Amino acid sequence: MSFSVIRPHVVSRTGLGMLGMRHISTSRAVAVQASRRVAAAEGISAQDTGGFKYVPGGPILPGTVNDATSFPPADKTHGSYHWAFERVLSAALIPLTVGAAVTTGSAYPILDGILGVSLVVHSHIGFDSAVVDYIHPRKYPVLGPIMSWILRIATGLSVWGVYEFNTNDIGTL
Amino acid sequence: MFASRTATSRLLASSSTKIASTSQLAQRAFSVSATQQHAAPAPVPPKQALKEFKIYRWNPDQPSEKPQLQSYKVNLAECGPMVLDALIKIKNDLDPTLTFRRSCREGICGSCAMNIDGVNTLACLSRIDRSETKPQKIYPLPHMYIVKDLVPDLTQFYKQYKSIEPFLKNDNVPEGREHLQSVAERKKLDGMYECILCACCSTSCPSYWWNQDEYLGPAALMAAYRWMADSRDSYGAERKEKMQNSLSLYRCHTIFNCSRTCPKGLNPAKAIAQIKLELATGA
Repeated sequence: MSFSVIRPHVVSRTGLGMLGMRHISTSRAVAVQASRRVAAAEGISAQDTGGFKYVPGGPILPGTVNDATSFPPADKTHGSYHWAFERVLSAALIPLTVGAAVTTGSAYPILDGILGVSLVVHSHIGFDSAVVDYIHPRKYPVLGPIMSWILRIATGLSVWGVYEFNTNDIGTL
Repeated sequence: MFASRTATSRLLASSSTKIASTSQLAQRAFSVSATQQHAAPAPVPPKQALKEFKIYRWNPDQPSEKPQLQSYKVNLAECGPMVLDALIKIKNDLDPTLTFRRSCREGICGSCAMNIDGVNTLACLSRIDRSETKPQKIYPLPHMYIVKDLVPDLTQFYKQYKSIEPFLKNDNVPEGREHLQSVAERKKLDGMYECILCACCSTSCPSYWWNQDEYLGPAALMAAYRWMADSRDSYGAERKEKMQNSLSLYRCHTIFNCSRTCPKGLNPAKAIAQIKLELATGA
């Protein structure tokens, strides 16, 4: 009889006697026990923090240790497009700067204008990266947006200032 | 003056050896039995080489007490060559309350990852600095929640690893045979599959320090690319799509601490750069 491979006390302890005369192995017994444990944990959702407040980066993690972390919603504007634009802009700044340096602003106002705007946009992306790194709104719901808006306003003012400087003054380069 | 002194000392030394050799000859010639000459070697006291280890201690049972560096002196003459040997010796002989993770002691399990003299590495793979003047400082992996002493809480690290689905996903499993792969395709996985998830790289990354709740960190990202690059996996596009946000992948600012610290000599920064390139070019 196939049952004889399991010692009697194992049968009584794990409730395997209930399974009747089916051919069972010890690995099956382990699997039954394992699935029971999972069933007990089923009541915990992946967002459950057991009554503790979730703070991003804090010691309280949502869900059980078996729940994977989640991803923010996919958006290429904040992903690959942003990254590619950043690189292309940085690379383009090199010939732009050299070009603007060897020409005069009054002779090539378009080139001068492009350099002025792209430098400010380049700086904006850099500062914005610092805001995302250190004062992201998920951690700083008040300070984060304030800093984002200060940065946007500063960038806008800079573009306007460069424009004024280039049209009504001696120009940047 | 200095030169003359050395010259005389050399002269003295040579003459004394000459005397010694002649007296030995005389002894040997007139001795009755040879065994008398074989005196038992004088007991050489084991060379004391006391090395100080300063180890980060924090006990969760006394949460009001601040973490502190505790100093231990280990005789290197009685200790193995690696930092892990010293830690085990301290735990065995000096202080059984010292807590750290260790398992394989040969750099394949990744348990004993810790910060030794300011570098994240495996204690079992880093040699003890033999200089006795400078204490060796041992901290847990930086910017992690500490369970006790040198044991960091890696729950988030493992949850992130799980989130990148580190297993083969393929809907068209070949019938009756294994997935076939060319030598060139297999070669792409070299330098990535060896990762032992010791968390040295992720915890050396400043971006991971500030944003580890959302940024995946070099270890999980290299594991992610390991499956993106696998020719047998057919979910590469889905895997890449998940990374299309500002936090999961793009908090990497190519600082290169990960590649620099990796105790296995792997290059997570390169894998992350590959993901970025493939995301941007649609490859």
